[in-house]
Amino acid sequence: MNIVEASGLGKRYGGTWALRECTLAIPAGHVAALVGPNGAGKTTLLNLAVGLAEPTAGGVTVLGGLAAGSAAALDGTAFVAQDTPVYRNLSAADMLHLTRNLNRRFDQPYAQARLGELGIPLNRKAGRLSGGQRAQLALTLALARRPRLLVLDEPVAMLDPVARHDFMALVMTAMAAEGVSVVLSSHVLADLERVADYLVLLSRGRVQVAGEVAGLLASHRLLTGPTAEADRYADRPVVHVRRGGAQAHLLVRATADDPVPPSWEAHPIGLEELTLAYLREPGAGALPGPARGQRAPHSEVTR
Amino acid sequence: MYSGQHLRVSDAEREAVTDRLAEHFAAGRLGQAEFDDRVERAISARTRADLSGLLAGLPGTGTPAGPELPRGGGSAPGSPIDFRLDAASGVPTYLQLVHQVEHALRLGYLKPGDQLPKVRDVVASLAINPNTVLKAYKELEVKGLTAGRPGQGTFIQATLGQVALPELAGLHKALLGWLGTADAAGLDEDGMVALFTSALRDFYERRGGAGTRRGAASGNTEGVA
Repeated sequence: MNIVEASGLGKRYGGTWALRECTLAIPAGHVAALVGPNGAGKTTLLNLAVGLAEPTAGGVTVLGGLAAGSAAALDGTAFVAQDTPVYRNLSAADMLHLTRNLNRRFDQPYAQARLGELGIPLNRKAGRLSGGQRAQLALTLALARRPRLLVLDEPVAMLDPVARHDFMALVMTAMAAEGVSVVLSSHVLADLERVADYLVLLSRGRVQVAGEVAGLLASHRLLTGPTAEADRYADRPVVHVRRGGAQAHLLVRATADDPVPPSWEAHPIGLEELTLAYLREPGAGALPGPARGQRAPHSEVTR
Repeated sequence: MYSGQHLRVSDAEREAVTDRLAEHFAAGRLGQAEFDDRVERAISARTRADLSGLLAGLPGTGTPAGPELPRGGGSAPGSPIDFRLDAASGVPTYLQLVHQVEHALRLGYLKPGDQLPKVRDVVASLAINPNTVLKAYKELEVKGLTAGRPGQGTFIQATLGQVALPELAGLHKALLGWLGTADAAGLDEDGMVALFTSALRDFYERRGGAGTRRGAASGNTEGVA
């Protein structure tokens, strides 16, 4: 089952396409990270997926084919917007009351137990909670709806490291205990490495990379060798090149079994390095993009 | 308690008894020698009569495959070990978990019958993807070191190095002496590692290729790669 599926999805604001020709299928049971520079279309894509925005072109479904924004889709989806907003003048208890009455399904005992564990005082106004506690409150309200899909827009960007860890621990626990699928956008690449097992890279409103992290990492290698020979690989699927006077680093699409040219060394790469390499090559540059024909079994690269 | 004492036992029955013995051993109700002896007898048991005495004198002997196993010793029914992560190591997260279990087995922190931390608890304490923990536990199961019990968790079922702690301490001390000599001879850390690795390879080659265990040596090379 695909937890989010988009086909030719586009959203235009005035004369600007915020998202364009977005086609992807995120399977259920993953933590899918949506990564890209500012203005790449991350928030637009998430808003379309949860039904807060209407597509200009194409369509998007969630939870295995339910139209985004339909009553059935909304029942199974929970969304925490950027900066985890709550009503600052309401207490945590008021927020619980409000959320319970605005939703068809709300697990009050779960919410109360979780807030108790987190040590969030029910009678304190949300505006007087710490940033980390506010984020936990917003997340708890979302999880108490017992969603099958949890969508988080930049959930930890504003949090300190401890609050960030505690927030993600709560998300991961919900995933382990209830099998919630998670789609989140983030700038914090280092945090993604521990959490994300599916990557969607957006650039200038288009999907640049999508696939399971394990598959993507297994199908990319960093080759290090003499700069003079770097151009010999112009017809190979090179993603990104860093040239020094004598030594060059090529990020190529290759597996551990692919032969390494003499006088070159091949290294496996991490998620952060892979992401950065693609972010630095957002469009058609001096170098050819990944070859279209070369597709790894679990990943897909489009340009 | 067993009817039909002359009936032949199945592997599953033998396993149920060794599992129970491992539980009691982990809980400190059996000494090492007694445990080894009884496991040996369980494995070679042919009839129910052979098996029936092996759990004698131990609590809960009426239910060889009971779902709730009482665990003595620890305060909470948890695992003897706790995982940590080194973000700077460059080793994939799931592999770090695998290495830590192997390490704990080798040093005797984990014994057959011990439970690994529950996936939920690992996820909650490290804030990592549950799929990562599952992948690590699956890898350990494939290596034959653990077994999953539906609804209960993952349990250790094999040992790695059977060297006792005092002996390990002696070996550690001898190695420190060697390191001192190597240092005095002007070898730096990388040089020592290289020399040790090459000597290790020679040692197992001389023993004949089949002797190479997937123990410390392979774990280390994975970590370095």
